[in-house]
Amino acid sequence: MHRYKFVLYRPLQFLPVLFGISLITFILVRLIPGDPARVLLGTRSTPSAIAAIRAQYGLDQPIWLQYFYFLQNLAQGEMGKSILYKIDVLRLIATRIEPTLALVLSAVLLSLVIAVPLASLAARSNGGPADHIVRFVSTFGIGFPPFWLALMLIIFFSVRLDLFPVSGYGETVADKLYHLILPALTIALSLSTVLIRSLRTAMIAELKGDLATAARARGMPESIVFWRHVMPNSLVPTINLLAVNIGWLIGGTVVVESVFALPGMGQLLVRAIFSRDYMVVQGVAMVFACATVLVNFIADIVTVAIDPRVKQ
Amino acid sequence: MSETLLSVRNLSVVFAGEDGPRTLIDDLSFDLGKGEILGLVGESGSGKSLTCRSLVRLMPSPNLTIASGSVMLDGRDLTKAPDSDIRAVRGRDIGMIFQNPTSHLDPLMRIGDQIAEGIRIHRGVDGKAARAAALDILAQVGFPHPARQYNGYPHEFSGGMRQRAMIGVALSCDPRILIADEPTTALDVTIQAQILRLLMDLRESRGLSVILITHDLGIVAQTCDRIAVLRQGRLLEIGDKRDVLGRPQHPYTRNLIASHPSMPERQAAFVPAREPAIPKARPLVEIDDLHVRFPVTGRSLFSGGPREFSAVKGVSLQVMPGETVGIVGESGSGKSTLARALLGLTPISEGHVAFDGADIVTERAKALRKLRREAAMVFQDPYNALNPRLTIGAMLAEVLAVQESVPKERIPARIGELLDLVGLEREFAGRKPLSMSGGQCQRAGIARALAVNPKLIVADECVAALDVTIQAQIVDLFRDLKQRLNLTLLFIAHDLAIVRNLCERVVVMYHGEIVEEGPTDKVFAAPREAYTQALIGAIPDIDPDRPLLSPRGGDDFVEETSGLVTGEA
Repeated sequence: MHRYKFVLYRPLQFLPVLFGISLITFILVRLIPGDPARVLLGTRSTPSAIAAIRAQYGLDQPIWLQYFYFLQNLAQGEMGKSILYKIDVLRLIATRIEPTLALVLSAVLLSLVIAVPLASLAARSNGGPADHIVRFVSTFGIGFPPFWLALMLIIFFSVRLDLFPVSGYGETVADKLYHLILPALTIALSLSTVLIRSLRTAMIAELKGDLATAARARGMPESIVFWRHVMPNSLVPTINLLAVNIGWLIGGTVVVESVFALPGMGQLLVRAIFSRDYMVVQGVAMVFACATVLVNFIADIVTVAIDPRVKQ
Repeated sequence: MSETLLSVRNLSVVFAGEDGPRTLIDDLSFDLGKGEILGLVGESGSGKSLTCRSLVRLMPSPNLTIASGSVMLDGRDLTKAPDSDIRAVRGRDIGMIFQNPTSHLDPLMRIGDQIAEGIRIHRGVDGKAARAAALDILAQVGFPHPARQYNGYPHEFSGGMRQRAMIGVALSCDPRILIADEPTTALDVTIQAQILRLLMDLRESRGLSVILITHDLGIVAQTCDRIAVLRQGRLLEIGDKRDVLGRPQHPYTRNLIASHPSMPERQAAFVPAREPAIPKARPLVEIDDLHVRFPVTGRSLFSGGPREFSAVKGVSLQVMPGETVGIVGESGSGKSTLARALLGLTPISEGHVAFDGADIVTERAKALRKLRREAAMVFQDPYNALNPRLTIGAMLAEVLAVQESVPKERIPARIGELLDLVGLEREFAGRKPLSMSGGQCQRAGIARALAVNPKLIVADECVAALDVTIQAQIVDLFRDLKQRLNLTLLFIAHDLAIVRNLCERVVVMYHGEIVEEGPTDKVFAAPREAYTQALIGAIPDIDPDRPLLSPRGGDDFVEETSGLVTGEA
C-alpha cells in the first residue's frame, strides 16, 4: 500500500502552509481600517478609555510582537479572546461551526445528486434533446449569482408555497435539516452547473473513446460500458474540480448564511469584520483556510483510491 | 481453404458526409475459413479497420452505415441481426484486439477483473468461477504468475504484456474468430515476434480463426495463410500468401511488396560504406563515456536519498563527416536520450560530447551556438512537430530569419529551393500541416531541418508513423539528400530493416549501452551479440520460407521487460 504513504507525510507539509496562512490573515486583518477599541466603546469614548482597552488586548504592542503572541497562543491551541463576545475565539467558533459544516456537506451531496444523473443523461444523449436541455439549464445556472438565487428560492418556496422556512436554524436534527434545505439547494444549484459541464465533457470523450469501443467489442451491454468503465474514468478529473470548488464554497457560505440568517461561521465572520473583532476574523479565516487544505487532502486520497496510476 | 466459417458478400459501407454520401467500403467479398489466419493488408485509409468493425457493426461514427451486402455466420446475416443478437456475437463469437492496448484497457480496473467481466456477463457464472477461468486465460496468454498478476493494473505492465492482457480479454468468452487490428504496430520487434507467435499458438490450440489487420507485409508473410489486399475500400486481390507475394496480380500489390524494407532490391540500393578518404579527418561528433541519468520522480522524504534512472550508461561513439549511422534498439534502450544529449537538449550527467570540436560540457555556449547553426533534428510525429497555425512557408521563413544565413530578400527564393530539395511542390509554402498528408508533413519537417544548412541531421524514428510506401519514399529522400548535400546523418529507428537500407554503420543499443557496432552489412550478416541476433531474427521477412527465428535467443533480454513492472522505473 505504498501509494497511500503520502497520507502519513503530507500533514508535515501542512505546517509551513499553516504558518503562511497565519501570517497572511494576521497582516490582512491589520490592514482593515478602523480601531476595534473605538468600535467597542462607541463614538463618545475618551482617549484614556480607548488606551486602556488597547492595552488590555495587547493592541498597543508593536505589530511583530502581536504576531509573536498570536503564534504563541496558536501553538497552545488558543486564538485569543473575542473583543465583542468576550469569550475565547475557539469556543466561539465551536458554537458556530455546526451549521456551516452541515450546510457545506449537504450542499456538496445535493450537488452530486443533481449533477451525476443530469450529466449522465446529457452525455448519453449527446446532441439529443436531453443534452440540449441540460446544457441550456446549466449555462443559465452559471449566470445566476447565489444571493439572487437564494432570494428567488425564498420567494417561491417559502413565501408563495410556504413549504420551507424563510430563515433561521432549528433545534432538533430534523428541524435543522428542514431549515438547511433551501440554503443547501442554493449552493448546490450553483455548484452542480460546474460539475455537470465537467462530467458531461469527460463522459462524452470516454463514451467515444477506445475504452468503450473495446468493451462494446466484447459484447458488454451499454449499461456496463457506462457504469463500470465510462463513469469511474470520467469521475477522476471531476473530483479535483469539486475539491477546488468546495474550497471556494466554504468562503461562499458567508453570503448564503447572511441571506438565510443561519447562525454559522460565515455570519460570525461578517459581524466580526464590521466590529473590527481582529481575533475572531483571524480565527475564522484560519479555520476556513485549514478546511480548504483539508478538503484538498481528502480529494487527493480519494483520487488515489480510484485511480491506481496516481502517485502523490 | 478449410470449411468456411464467416462469409462476407458485397459489403458496402457509406459515410453520410455534409457534401453527400461517400462509399468507404466498396463491394467487398471474402471468406474466412475455420482455423485460418487471413491477413488484411493496406495503407492507412484503405478501409481495413472499418471492414472489421463492420463485421460486428461496431461503427466508429453514427454517420457510417452498412449500405448493402451480407456477413454470414452460422447461417445468420449479421448485418440484419437485431442489436441484442449482435451484442451476443461480439466477444462470444467474434473477439477483437486493438493496436493500442493502453487505451483499450480500463486503467482503473485490475486486468484479471477485466477478463473475468466478460466471462461473468456472457456465461452468467458467479464471481468465483469467473476468477478461476480468468486465471486460466492469463496463463494461456503467457502471464508467468497468473495469481499475482491477476491483481495488476494495466499501467504496471509493459506494452507486450498489456497486449497479452488484451488478447486475454478478447479470448475470455472463447470466441471462434479473433479480429486483430494492427496488434503489434506499437511494440518492439522482439515483443512483436512473441505476440505473433502467441496468436499462431492460439490458432493451433483453440482452432481459432484470425483476421489480422496489418500494414506490414512481413507480418502477413510470417503468420497468415491467405492475404487480402485492400486499397481505398476495394479488394484488389485475395489469395494464398505464396501466390500473392510471389505472383502479385495488381500493380499496387507489386509496389507494396517492392516497398518492403526487407526486399533485396531495396537493400542493394544502399551506398556501400566509403573508405574514409582522409583517414585523419576529425570526427564531426565525438561522444566519450556519456552518462545521462534522470532523477526518479517520487518523494524521498522517508525513502532515503534521491533515486536515479540511468538512460545512457557509458556510451562512446564517433561519427565522421558524411557518414550515415543508424542507432537501433528497443524502446527504453536510450537511443533517443543519446540523440537529445548530443544536441544539448538533455543535461549530461557525466562524460563528454563534442560537436565539430566544441565540447558541450566545457564550452557549452560555443557548442550550442554551433549546434543550433549546424545540426538539426527531424521528429517522429510530423503533425506534432510542426506548428499547426503556421504555413510551411512561414515556418521555413522563421528558421531562415533567425539563422540569418540568407539575406532577407532571398528568403522566398530559398523557401522554394528547400521545397524542391524535399520533393514538395512550391505551392506547399502556402499550406498548413493539417491539410497535408503524413508523408508531406515529414517532408516539410525535413525541409525545416535543411533550412539551417546543417552538417548533421538527427532523425529520431522519423518514418515510424508512416505507411510503408511513404516510408520508402522518405528513406529514398534521405539517401538522395545525403549524397547531394554531403550530410552526416544519425538515423534512430527501432525498425532494423530501414536502418539496413540506409546506413553504412549501425550501432545497437540495449539498456543504455552500446552492445554492438560495425558496418551494417557485417552486423546484419554475422551479428556477434546474442541480443543483436535476437533483434535481427525477430524481423518478419517478406519471404514466407524464411520463418521468424524463434525468439528463444532473445528470451534473456525480453524476460526483464515483460514481467510485472513493479512501478519503480
